[in-house]
Amino acid sequence: MSAITFSRVSPGSTVQDEGRPGKRVYGAAAGGPMDRGAFLEGGRLLTEKAGSAALELGMLGADFTYAGAGAQMAVSGGDFKILINGQQRGWPGLHQLEDGDRVEITTGQSGLYGYARFDREIDIEPVMGSRSANLMAGLGGGALTAGDRIGFLQASNSPPGDTSGSPWLEGPIRVLPGLHASLLGSRWADLFDADFEITSRFDRMGIRLNDRNGFFAEFDAGSLVSDFVVPGDVQILGDGTPVILMRDHQPTGGYPRVATVISAELDRLAQMRPGTRLQFQPATLAEAQRLARGGAA
Amino acid sequence: MTVESIGTMPNAILHPLGDAALLVKFGNDVGSGANRAAIGFADILKRARLPGVAEIATSLVSVFVGYDPARVSFQVLSGEIRLRLPGTLPALPDMGEPFPIEVEYGGAGGPDFQAVCDALELTPDELIAAHQTGTPRVLSGGFSPGFVYIGPHEANLTVPRRETLREDVPAGSVLFAAGQTAITATRIRTGWNVIGRTDFRNFDLARTPPVTLMPGRIIQFAGGLA
Repeated sequence: MSAITFSRVSPGSTVQDEGRPGKRVYGAAAGGPMDRGAFLEGGRLLTEKAGSAALELGMLGADFTYAGAGAQMAVSGGDFKILINGQQRGWPGLHQLEDGDRVEITTGQSGLYGYARFDREIDIEPVMGSRSANLMAGLGGGALTAGDRIGFLQASNSPPGDTSGSPWLEGPIRVLPGLHASLLGSRWADLFDADFEITSRFDRMGIRLNDRNGFFAEFDAGSLVSDFVVPGDVQILGDGTPVILMRDHQPTGGYPRVATVISAELDRLAQMRPGTRLQFQPATLAEAQRLARGGAA
Repeated sequence: MTVESIGTMPNAILHPLGDAALLVKFGNDVGSGANRAAIGFADILKRARLPGVAEIATSLVSVFVGYDPARVSFQVLSGEIRLRLPGTLPALPDMGEPFPIEVEYGGAGGPDFQAVCDALELTPDELIAAHQTGTPRVLSGGFSPGFVYIGPHEANLTVPRRETLREDVPAGSVLFAAGQTAITATRIRTGWNVIGRTDFRNFDLARTPPVTLMPGRIIQFAGGLA
């Protein structure tokens, strides 16, 4: 069967499919692609068959060699450069791979996650219904490393066709009040004047923010009973550090969650590089749900 | 006072959790009937099969309801949920026979066992006997795959968490703090006291479902010193 072998892989690279929705009862978050829209775009680019899982590559991309019969590969997400046998190709784009082809994917101007999706299935045994690596729960194949070989199986699924994702929004990141927003009291409105910055401490589980004005420096939530977390929750650690919990979040937590980034903003947030300045703006539940269904801002 | 002896249904607060889930929260304290209410009400909601509901799970004091906003709005779903809140604490679903967990207390697998004895001013044998008294239940899972909180224990068995975290606490560790026992099923980092170990693993991908103990199940601790 066909396979790829990595000679170089960015830190933070994993295999991802749609994840494991509905498994909180077993202690696992849904997980799935950090930039879900880009993952879906990869599926749409394929014309014959679409594997359910993709390579989710970290900011530095990956180099790999393909072995086997001719294959389609769709690439999408962020801004990366791609060379096939030394020739520059399109990103995003659909490319044909032949036996022995060498693929080099390197960082571009923006973005943290790129996707390579194939017209065949990645040969990883599904765990709890998914091939996704969940780094917090320890499910799936873990992080990809140089030397890894990934085999392929025949894919049975047709490409998903024109599924509409969320629009790529602009401006401050939209949030809803979190489970513990009332702890902020009248300071809730001031949250939208505060300046934050994405730090280099990020992974699939969460993104630490630099609280540039010390908005949360004196925040003291006291002792809270542990309760459910959702992706996008803005959690404040005991020392006042804000952390936005992402796809591989721990299913429950005891730190206060003052706000929750709306679903339609999670992809944009996931692609923000360290050093990106960040502000929040309030959204309504109705607006968040309309945007999640692909409505305009 | 045990959870079972409280018959009054605690007040429920419905809170949106992001844009595709809501939480039905019954209190801020696991000992106040909130846990029993959450487990019983989750069972009621599962049987109700409300349109658009995608996921139901319980924490220590709440029911998580994941929904598809394309199929049902928060307002409509909240109304459907409130309609089904019972006036008195619902019966717990039939969870089967008490589940025995054999523990090796102390030794290399329970480095904090003696410290807990000292804090409670009990001999090792007295602590083991007290730990095996009563009919504690699985209060919640959810923190990591297969991890379970079990309680309550007798009120005089309450010790705080450790001041510092222990790294790399292995699967099968028996943790103790805040009047509860927790059992790990994967390697974790924790501030709880590690008082022993067990061969029981509550998470096994070879099984379907992969988790054995669900909230509400009565636990019978057994075993002795390592």
